Amino acid sequence: MFGFVLARLLRSLIVLFATVTFVFIVLRLSGDPAQQMLSDIATPEALAAFRTQWGLDRSIAEQYLLYLANAFQGNFGTSFADGREVFTVIGERVPKTLSVTVPAFLLTMLIGIPAGILAAVRRETAADKAVMAGAVVGYSIPNFLLGVALIYLFAVWLRVLPSSGSSTWQHAILPVATLVLAGAATISRFTRSTLIDVLGQPYIAAARADGIPEREIILRHALPNAAIPLVTMLGFGAGGMLGGAVFVETVFAWPGLGSGFVRAVNSGDLNVVQAMILTFTAFMVSINLTVDILYAALNPKIRLGNHDAS
Amino acid sequence: MSHLLAVRGLVVQAPARGLKIIDGIDLSLDRGETLGLVGESGCGKSMTCYAIAGALPRGIARTGGSITLQDDADGGTGSPAKPSVAMIFQDPTSSLNPVHTIGHYLESALYRHQGLRGNDARLEAMRLLERVGIDRAKSRLRAYPHQFSGGMNQRVMIAHALAAKPRLLIADEPTTALDVTTQAQILYLLEELRAETGMALLIVSHDLGVIARLADRAAVMYCGKIVETAPIGALLERPAHPYARALIDCMPTIDPDDLEPPTPIAGSVPLLDNLPAGCHFHPRCDRGGRDCVSAYPAPARIGPGHAASCYHPVRP
Repeated sequence: MFGFVLARLLRSLIVLFATVTFVFIVLRLSGDPAQQMLSDIATPEALAAFRTQWGLDRSIAEQYLLYLANAFQGNFGTSFADGREVFTVIGERVPKTLSVTVPAFLLTMLIGIPAGILAAVRRETAADKAVMAGAVVGYSIPNFLLGVALIYLFAVWLRVLPSSGSSTWQHAILPVATLVLAGAATISRFTRSTLIDVLGQPYIAAARADGIPEREIILRHALPNAAIPLVTMLGFGAGGMLGGAVFVETVFAWPGLGSGFVRAVNSGDLNVVQAMILTFTAFMVSINLTVDILYAALNPKIRLGNHDAS
Repeated sequence: MSHLLAVRGLVVQAPARGLKIIDGIDLSLDRGETLGLVGESGCGKSMTCYAIAGALPRGIARTGGSITLQDDADGGTGSPAKPSVAMIFQDPTSSLNPVHTIGHYLESALYRHQGLRGNDARLEAMRLLERVGIDRAKSRLRAYPHQFSGGMNQRVMIAHALAAKPRLLIADEPTTALDVTTQAQILYLLEELRAETGMALLIVSHDLGVIARLADRAAVMYCGKIVETAPIGALLERPAHPYARALIDCMPTIDPDDLEPPTPIAGSVPLLDNLPAGCHFHPRCDRGGRDCVSAYPAPARIGPGHAASCYHPVRP
């Protein structure tokens, strides 16, 4: 198990390194940050001065090596826009994003998994059909549209919740609800189909023939097996929350990583964009690492391999 | 004295589709007896087992007849407790839960059936594993099914069945997924355990060789009905129903002097929603008369304990 985790950690570092390299090169090939940062009427002298100031006049290879050298000393550069350290800029946005995505993810599990179990156990009944109808709706409406619809319903029409900003906890309700609806829809559908598949396995028929009560069959025999693919799906869900945050934060003007990322890209603030992508990647990599470890913990076939334990 | 198991007019249906999977069968089994149930795939053998074990899959239900289990061997004062039934399955590896250890599997059964827990349960689980021929039982309790071979997993399933102290063990194609040498070992083990515990054994197979080896009596099923019941010797030597005879002719032999290839049965098993009128076997039968299409034949006595549902039984 220890070797397994170590191997996954090493692989994660390689992924981070590859991402830094790829993003660095692609960003420098896609447009001139000096032109983006300064206005259209900037003089050629001003543009040249900007490029010299940020080292953009050197070759890409030179810039890259310099960036790496600094990065290894923990220096990821400063924002083109206001000259602050990039991780100061990011540091004040991360808690904002987490305060939306973490509750959204927990609620997604709390709603999606039990709803999926209910639909699978009461298959082909009204309960199943209601859950699946809700899931189809939640699953098919895009985040940004759902966000706007919720703003219209609760902020404009009913006037019970604020539509944008982040000053009170009420401000978080609509962004969280937007993320949860889509997330819970996916998770409940997946839980249902996985559990139905598991309930059709011969070991479940064997457990029933042994007279084990249905409740115990679901909880002790079926769910531990369904949990194995479900953990993978929850990993995707957690990653999707971060991706969804880019849309949802923009719609609700929530000052987190997602809306910050959109702003940095629009203004050509390369150092901030790079560091944010690195932050997103680090989140993704740690989610994947968690999924891999949980997967091994839940699945004896992965944990132990095929040899006889004795 | 009544039978240990008496099945009368059992009907099993998939109500949603109106299909009769089992159409009014009678079976009986005495204490310590081994009954073989034989027939082609889809004839209702497994459903008969599930119905007796009270574990029909969802969407399938018993809609008629009775299943009585009664063990009044020692006098039957008052109302005797319902004797326990255990079941083992065709594919042992997929019939064991992949996330539970062998130890957990056996110990939870021992708790459920005998109230044993903790060290008592573990010692008894070890004893059962050793009894079914798995050595180094102590370390094997920590193993998972995927670490065992199919034969070992079938032994584990048998140990699990023994934890229920069954008076009736139902074995649904217990050796079909195993290779021949393992098959012989498992059959030997089942026979040994039956003799040792005095339980009755209902063994289902499409392989008459397996039935011939273990069973005292056999019942031949076709399209959800029992077409012939007989003591095993009488069935093999003097099958009366043309289907039973055809099944026996299908068995390959390893006798070097017998160069005749096995004779296949012409045609295929009809679909349950499109059964032929009268005797369901008549389109594939070489003895058919006019009466065969009119009504389903009632069982007729052939000899002691031997009956066949046929208007034109094969006479020796």
